[in-house]
Amino acid sequence: MSSTAVPGPVGKPRGRRLPAIFRRPGWQGLLFILPAVVLLGALVAYPLVWTIVYSFGDTNSRLDIVSWVGFDNYERLFTRDRVFLNRDSFPPEGALVNNLKWALLYTTISLALGLLIAVLAARVRYESIVKAIIFVPMAIAATAVAIIWKFVYEPDPDIGAANAVLHGAFNLDPIVFIGRADTVNYAIIFAYVWASTGFAMVVLSAALKGIPEEILEAARTDGANEWHIFRRIQFPLLSLPMAVVTVWLTINVIKLFDVIYVLSRGGPGNSSEVIATQMFDELFQNGEGGYAAAIAVVMLLLIIPLMIWNISRFRSERVVT
Amino acid sequence: MTKRWAALLAVLLLAVGTATACGGDDGGGGTKEGTGTITIFSLWGGSEQEAFQKVLTQFTKDTGIETKYESARDFLPVIRTRLAADNPPMMAIIPRPGFVAELAKDDVLISLEDLGLDAGQINENYSDTWTKLTTIDGTVYGVVAKANSKSTVWYKPNSFQENGFEIPKTWDELLEITKQYKAKGKTPWAAGAQGDDNSWTLTDWFEQIYARQAGPDKYTQLFETGEVPFNDQSVKDAVNEMVKILNDQYVAGGIDTVLGISFVDSIGRVFGKNPKAEMLYEGGFVGGIAIGEVNPSLKPGTDIDFFEFPQINPDQSVDVVGGGDVAAAFVNNEDVSKLMEYLASPEAGEIWVSTGAIASPNESVLESAYPNELVKKEARELKEAKSFLFDGSDLLPGTLGQNFGTLLQNVVKNPGDKDNLLDNYQADAESAGFGS
Repeated sequence: MSSTAVPGPVGKPRGRRLPAIFRRPGWQGLLFILPAVVLLGALVAYPLVWTIVYSFGDTNSRLDIVSWVGFDNYERLFTRDRVFLNRDSFPPEGALVNNLKWALLYTTISLALGLLIAVLAARVRYESIVKAIIFVPMAIAATAVAIIWKFVYEPDPDIGAANAVLHGAFNLDPIVFIGRADTVNYAIIFAYVWASTGFAMVVLSAALKGIPEEILEAARTDGANEWHIFRRIQFPLLSLPMAVVTVWLTINVIKLFDVIYVLSRGGPGNSSEVIATQMFDELFQNGEGGYAAAIAVVMLLLIIPLMIWNISRFRSERVVT
Repeated sequence: MTKRWAALLAVLLLAVGTATACGGDDGGGGTKEGTGTITIFSLWGGSEQEAFQKVLTQFTKDTGIETKYESARDFLPVIRTRLAADNPPMMAIIPRPGFVAELAKDDVLISLEDLGLDAGQINENYSDTWTKLTTIDGTVYGVVAKANSKSTVWYKPNSFQENGFEIPKTWDELLEITKQYKAKGKTPWAAGAQGDDNSWTLTDWFEQIYARQAGPDKYTQLFETGEVPFNDQSVKDAVNEMVKILNDQYVAGGIDTVLGISFVDSIGRVFGKNPKAEMLYEGGFVGGIAIGEVNPSLKPGTDIDFFEFPQINPDQSVDVVGGGDVAAAFVNNEDVSKLMEYLASPEAGEIWVSTGAIASPNESVLESAYPNELVKKEARELKEAKSFLFDGSDLLPGTLGQNFGTLLQNVVKNPGDKDNLLDNYQADAESAGFGS
């Protein structure tokens, strides 16, 4: 829009001329998002930048940076820190590997169970009751979930439900699920799956309801059986909501902290440590601010690809959920 | 419109606030006038907190200064956060002397001298063992408020009597009792060392054995100076003795259970209403928790008692390995100075010990102030100890103390892998600059 377009004579003399930016259309829009930008800047961008700055430093007990160490924190994290990544053992162990285990097992099992229940429940009359029951754990805070499962896994069969079953039905010796390096990760993953399946189920069930009945009817008329309908029609149409749920579950894994903190504190040894619990220990137990910041930056780098995917999905306006 | 400006203003204020907080420092100049209220922070809750509260109540009665006790079991995370926010409590009672040294070196603590107190006079009531903990580079940064013997093995006198056992004087006698309990179909021991916050029970086991087998000199070289490496043969020998008791055969539920339950749970397994084991090794505080929280119907002397951790190597006699908590100040004012002086006084010590919760390191505290034979015995053990060693893992710098507990968790789980585990730990210690 050029200034020559402004018509010559005006009835009233105009006030002060506005700066160029305010003469462009849409400047009111900028004004509208300003508070959000300022808030996000102060509460997200500022801490983010400082975390990155911290990760190149060494801190004292007041968390002031006392010296700059370059990439030392990162080097230590990936080469010398056996809690984070133990490359001496085969297969490798450590917090990073545990997070990977979580990403694979927790995500697939929650998604598969959620899908299964959504599809099956749609075929019974008491669907809403089933869904309500499966969804209830979603309403429980993660720390409370962890405390519930702490009781379930209690080694004493008089207290722990899991060992009561093993003892009563199979007469087995109690298994200390949380005290053994070879069971602790799977035990906690199972507990968290219990808490997250409801979410996957609700989202997928809603998407399932969005598939027009005519398509299914047409397929049935053409002689497709129920498995074919699921495999060839419902499953492909659910791929996008399933991707959304997968991203949500994966983000859950990367920021995973509370269930582990309450159930095992990363133990026994370091066998159930994940990135976030290690960051907490380095910062608050050991007072290593710079090193903890480096771990936080690694978490950020892991989350960024998921964020980009999520945002590009919004851009494409194929929002289903 | 007004709402938006209010939000903007709030953000601006926040930004300014953060900026000033970051730039703040502790001023440093002289003892200021008090505000009439003191905040004091530690990790005790329940019966331990009530006991300490009695001391504070008397202080308020004497001086008119209000006190506010704040508690968090997660002591380190909370104190670190508050220090970083430049909002520390006025005083804290710190459970780990290694942390006192760290804070003193970072210039966060106020020394007794800066508080206007006569450190030399206060320290007259304490033996060198204790003053060593509060003295960093020649400056005294607080007083040891409470002490614990950790050389106490808890047992059931009536069970010993039934089975005809005598109090063991040597490690071999203790192992013999262990075997006999097992032969009679009973589980001799219980222990709880779950996760990061209970692994200290294993470091305590190790320290008792190492001090009595390798001797006090090597103990100091291992934990304080770092001259003895952690993969030394003496460490391996101590681990071998440790797993003679801490193994699947002799502890309730096996090692998996030890690593799956907390310290307080392990007390319940021996002294609870539905006991599963006969003996428990841990410090003098076991008695207070067992009687005060786990099972109030216990009768000291018949249901519960302790004997001194038996000697292992006759040439390396050690009386007590124990721990203590240090009262230190973060804010310099007259109220804080008064409370510090009070906590160091025998009057405060006598009120505190009369609750049965602690033993006092203060030598002027009278033995008659202790309420029962169990704590009296612990206090006597502390006072009469000819040789006293401090809890070694609490003295290790930085992350090493915590990781030592994790190391021992792995060692009791896989004793066959100990060489490898100890090599790794030594490598970590060296890369942290310990002992080099």
